[in-house]
Amino acid sequence: MALVRQILKQTVTYKLFKSILVNLIDFMEVMGHITTCTVEFFKSLFKGELDRKELITQCERFGISSLPITLSIVGMTCVIIVSQIAQEMVKQGGGNFVGALVAVLIVRELGVIMSGFAIISMIGSSMASELATMRVTEQIDALQTLKVNPFGYLFAPRVMAGMLMMPLVVIISSLFGILAGALTSDLAAGLSYRVYFDSIWIGIFAKDLFVCLAKAICFGGVIALISCTFGYYASGGAKGVGIATTRAVVWSFVAIVIIDMLFAIAFFF
Amino acid sequence: MSIEVKNLVKAFGEKKVIDDVSFKVNDGEILAIVGFSGSGKSTILKLISNLVEKDSGEIITSGGDIAFVFQYSALFDSLTVYDNIAFALHERKDLRKKYSEKEIREIVNEKLALVGLKGIENLYPAELSGGMQKRVSFARAIVTEPKVILYDEPTAGLDPIASTLIEDYILRLRNETGATSIVVTHQMSTIQRTADKVIMLYDGKIVFSGTPEELCRLDNEYTKQFVTASIDGPMKIIEK
Repeated sequence: MALVRQILKQTVTYKLFKSILVNLIDFMEVMGHITTCTVEFFKSLFKGELDRKELITQCERFGISSLPITLSIVGMTCVIIVSQIAQEMVKQGGGNFVGALVAVLIVRELGVIMSGFAIISMIGSSMASELATMRVTEQIDALQTLKVNPFGYLFAPRVMAGMLMMPLVVIISSLFGILAGALTSDLAAGLSYRVYFDSIWIGIFAKDLFVCLAKAICFGGVIALISCTFGYYASGGAKGVGIATTRAVVWSFVAIVIIDMLFAIAFFF
Repeated sequence: MSIEVKNLVKAFGEKKVIDDVSFKVNDGEILAIVGFSGSGKSTILKLISNLVEKDSGEIITSGGDIAFVFQYSALFDSLTVYDNIAFALHERKDLRKKYSEKEIREIVNEKLALVGLKGIENLYPAELSGGMQKRVSFARAIVTEPKVILYDEPTAGLDPIASTLIEDYILRLRNETGATSIVVTHQMSTIQRTADKVIMLYDGKIVFSGTPEELCRLDNEYTKQFVTASIDGPMKIIEK
């Protein structure tokens, strides 16, 4: 019997199922952690444990420190797209719609998702590593022994800052992207600024702006919450900090793409 | 405040780290918990301070704050010494509005003086030596006037003089605040200089309970191996 078991353990099927099972358990565990942290975050808000001083610090970090990288990414993406489509659209007689196309692309998708990616890389990863370091150096334990709720002190300001500042980041980066598009269409296809800006309002509706801002609030909150969760549950020294940071980035990327898809299905399907 | 632990059990996975442990520390007493690494000493402190949930058993305390002095100080590295010590007074919901900033400053200065440190309020933990960090963590722990102080290896990694200084502060804090203390340690000097009572853990169980003098009598196989730092004896350090 032992021999059969040993042979079975060598088979690819066994290894495949084992790997699936391990990943499934891990997935369930992460979902459990995220759920716990979400509940504790809301509890700390209702109990009035949000640290206002820390909220201002986190807003500054989320909104101001991230702007250079967010503007660069959204701006450059617009330059890449417009430099490829503007000339062709002008040739085909669609020059009047370049501004509209860019605005729709940016307001509906690019502005918010590219800002999300930039925020994850810059702010989410730093939040995860910060909390993970605090965990492995027992600073979070110290918070608890001092009877300060880590969810009120660490989670609430970060998640609230994400929800408050992400819309602002998206608005600024989208405007910057539209301006970058105008400049590129002028340089690449000789399209006048007036034609470009006149056409912007053809494709943009109030619903687009509303969905864009709602997505930004969700993205900001989710990125901060996931990053803090992975940091909070980190273990195992420097290696643990690295693992927590990587996983926070990967999960945040996947989460915002899923949320984006749900928004697309709910509002534009 | 006294602490009574009854039939405490804690397992991580299948490994029982604390296995049916019972002891009592009377008001104002200092208990040293000794034993080799991995014997469950720090886990007991974490169970008493609610950082880890127990599986079964009872921990009876008669109310009041429980302070924890961590092995590696666990100071908040992004805050200055002043903000570290004042942290609970600034951030704890029940204390947030109790003191003015002027009163908090006075309390911080008083606690810093108690641990023999003055004029370092604006430094960050990274700018302090290991011994100074430990003393700042003492000051932070006692800022809320706790009734119980738990020390997790307070002299580990310190030179002999810094260790003596820390041992003196443990005694001084007990004498000045009247707090009941539990000290987890490996060091004989810390046991002999600070403890009223000693318990020794091995494999999650208490294998010795007595005074520091009784620990050094070498009439118990476990204490004999510990005190003489012998590889041979009932305690197996390397599991094969």
